[in-house]
Amino acid sequence: MIVAAWICLLSPLAAALLITLLGNGISRRGAGYLATLAVLVSFVAACVAFFALWGDAPHDRSHYSTVWTWLQSGSFSAGLRVLVDPLSTMMMLVVSGVGSLIVAYSVGYMDGEDEERRYFAYMALFVFSMLLLVQSGNLLLLLAGWGLVGLSSYLLIGFWQERPSAIAAAKKAFVMNAFGDATMALAFFLLIQHTRSLSFETVFARAPGLASNHWLVNLVALGLLGGAVAKSAQLPLQTWLPDAMEGPTPVSALIHAATMVTAGVYLIVRTHVLFELAPKVEDLAAGLGAATLLLAGLIALVQTDIKRVIAYSTMSQIGYMFLGAGLGAYANGMFHLMTHAFFKALLFMAAGLVIHALAGEQDIRKMGGLRGLMPRTYRAFLVGALALVGLPPFAGFFSKDSILAAAMHDGWYGYLLWSAGLVGTFLTGLYTFRMLFVVFGGEPSAFVREHLIRPRRHGHVHHGEGPFSMTSTVAILAVLSLVGGWIQFAPLWTPVTRWLDVVAPTLHHAEATSWQEGISSGLAFALGLAGLVTAWLVYSRRRLAVPRLPFAQRMLERKLYFDEAYDLVFYRPAVGAARFFGRIVEPFAVGGSITGLARGTRDVARGVSEAQTGLLRNYALAMAGGLAVLVVVFISVR
Amino acid sequence: MTLGILGPEVSWYLAVAAFLFATGALGVLLRRSPLIVLLSLEIMLNGANLALIAFARHQGNGAGQIFALAVMAVAASEVVVGLGLIVAISRRNLDLDVDKLRTLRG
Amino acid sequence: MILAFDAGNTLVWIVWIVAAFACLGSGIAVVSFTNPFFSALALIGNLGALAVLYLLLSAEFVAAAQVLVYAGAVMVMFLFVIAYLGGRADAPWAGGPSWQQVGAVAAAGAILVEIVVAIGLKAGGRLAHQQHVLSSFGSPHAIGRLFLTDHLLAFEITSIVLLVAAIGGVILGSHSRKLAGEKAL
Repeated sequence: MIVAAWICLLSPLAAALLITLLGNGISRRGAGYLATLAVLVSFVAACVAFFALWGDAPHDRSHYSTVWTWLQSGSFSAGLRVLVDPLSTMMMLVVSGVGSLIVAYSVGYMDGEDEERRYFAYMALFVFSMLLLVQSGNLLLLLAGWGLVGLSSYLLIGFWQERPSAIAAAKKAFVMNAFGDATMALAFFLLIQHTRSLSFETVFARAPGLASNHWLVNLVALGLLGGAVAKSAQLPLQTWLPDAMEGPTPVSALIHAATMVTAGVYLIVRTHVLFELAPKVEDLAAGLGAATLLLAGLIALVQTDIKRVIAYSTMSQIGYMFLGAGLGAYANGMFHLMTHAFFKALLFMAAGLVIHALAGEQDIRKMGGLRGLMPRTYRAFLVGALALVGLPPFAGFFSKDSILAAAMHDGWYGYLLWSAGLVGTFLTGLYTFRMLFVVFGGEPSAFVREHLIRPRRHGHVHHGEGPFSMTSTVAILAVLSLVGGWIQFAPLWTPVTRWLDVVAPTLHHAEATSWQEGISSGLAFALGLAGLVTAWLVYSRRRLAVPRLPFAQRMLERKLYFDEAYDLVFYRPAVGAARFFGRIVEPFAVGGSITGLARGTRDVARGVSEAQTGLLRNYALAMAGGLAVLVVVFISVR
Repeated sequence: MTLGILGPEVSWYLAVAAFLFATGALGVLLRRSPLIVLLSLEIMLNGANLALIAFARHQGNGAGQIFALAVMAVAASEVVVGLGLIVAISRRNLDLDVDKLRTLRG
Repeated sequence: MILAFDAGNTLVWIVWIVAAFACLGSGIAVVSFTNPFFSALALIGNLGALAVLYLLLSAEFVAAAQVLVYAGAVMVMFLFVIAYLGGRADAPWAGGPSWQQVGAVAAAGAILVEIVVAIGLKAGGRLAHQQHVLSSFGSPHAIGRLFLTDHLLAFEITSIVLLVAAIGGVILGSHSRKLAGEKAL
């Protein structure tokens, strides 16, 4: 099991290194196959670890393995240490499983791209980083994985480095993530100071002793929450995620489904002991999740870029996970993470098929009528959309509704969150099917006709709806999006909750009764359906007109002015201060002192060199004068 | 048999020595011919020698005379080198003028 | 100061005055002659007058060395060089910036005044009482003994200095090939 875990972790790293080192020694397609194979090996190893863990007794399912202690300072030590427990194996399965499908899909999607090798090296590195994050046995290694995930996302979002917008998006993602890294690191410093350790079991064992120090536990939880919020693109650090759509579509799928944004949820669940010590911060996390899911749903209603709509849906769904994790329904959050990985990867990859077919066009206003032209893509997209909205029997139904049910058990605040979640469900139905109807419904638009119908008429059909590597992976994900939710149907059967119970038991106040489950499921189903029907009426039947609310529409199109606000609050003052210092302080205080020093030295030297006349008699006179003065001194002193 | 001093006491000799030294210094500082500068230097050295010998007599200690002899040796060496330089300068057809030899100028 | 007006003392005084004034006069002459040849001759006179003063201070060996080595050998070398250079040895008397001349006179005068002041004010009393010395003081015998006992090191170093100067003089004065090469350039 331990060996399997190490293979799982190191296989993508080996692929990344191999592709990098081989350079031109490996064909472009070979690099893709190598990366796919490596991640697939990871998945197999994760499966082996999972089944081995399954065989253990429920309370003996945490296994640590340290290969090397690379930091030893007094009583503090941190090693290269992996942890295999139910939570990490679940994440390993999701990351490597969905990751391998996405990498395989990329082989077709990136075909003909100039720098495929670099792309696949980055992809393998990304998967490795995320695996390091979820498998690490101490917080330090987790932070290393955390940072590597940020780095890989930076590299991949900016993959098309000739596009200025891609570079800007990559920088934005990196800076926002770095902010989260910083708060997390600060929290870790506090933990080192007070618990003298960063390894999970020691920290979690000693943390309850710190509970009396409210400031400390709140600060630690806030720091961790900062990291989680930044990585998972929740309010108020959400602005990088939509911009991250500048990367290739499979990268978006990877970021949204398997890696990166789910890391925040994983962190909260992993360190739930610390969060439980600070209930206010937990409530804050849940509240942020609820606010994000509403906000993202609203913004998604007006987006016109197909990938951005899906990106906002991700923010919204991660909001649900935060809601669940913040409430203490960790297993529900993790379950939703898993099903979300399936249907979000499916949506992105189906959208990728559309974009691929339309020569890179992402604007849904130019699309339309694709249903008859790409029937299989349409069906896959429909499955993903239904799973996203959470209609039975698709995956989202099982996972999302139990989160809502968990919220009902938590007093008025819980009901507030619950209603936010329900409204979110309606919004989800609305924006998802708006996208679906606009892209696939109706008659083929002029743009679509130009790109899809005319080539067909001229006999240019080369690959149906996409190459095999793309369509097959989409098909697998479509099946998973359908059946993936069936493994748990609270409260009738709950294997996921029981599986995670050892690591992160659901808090008592988040345990929903059957009745709450029933009510939540019913309402969520009804509201999701209502959203669907509304979208159908507005965008397909055109019975209803879009309400004319120019102000609200502009607000949403500008993403509630978050970018502008950050621009105003952080960027402008920083630039202003920099300009001020550059104009006022730099030339005079810094530059002036340096050049002044240099000029002064030069002037003095020039003056002194004037004294070097080269005239022997002048030197002799100087000596004689000096002698005269010295004699005066001697006479007067003695 | 011991000898007392005859004639003026040491102060007068020292005054003459000081005058000689100052005269030599004036010559070094004023004259432009390197030969005259060397001769003036000899006068300065002799002034110092006179002071040394006067003090040797005053103290009744022979070390001063030894010192004076050493100074004479050094003076002879200096004259040899100085004259060698002057000859070398003239052989290169350079002006024998202290003020024109100013390659040390900064 | 008690002046003993005996014949010997008076004679010594007369000799001293003559020698001292010859010394000062020839010194000024050395500095002021335009022609270096005359300056060199004046310096010979200066050295002779100094030798007389040395004799009065019972430094017989130094006086003899002064006349033989200095006035004889060294000055002959001087005269040879001056003769060798001929007319090229003539340089402007003085010149250069006026502050240099003013400064030269001021510095020389300051040194003179300071030394006289130092002698008169600071050391006047202590210089009045002179040691009585043996008649052999300053004789070649005594000097030789000192040189080869107490001051052997100084003696040896002096010899090395002379050796180095001799070598330097030979090198400077010789027609080197390098010089010829430089001219060719």
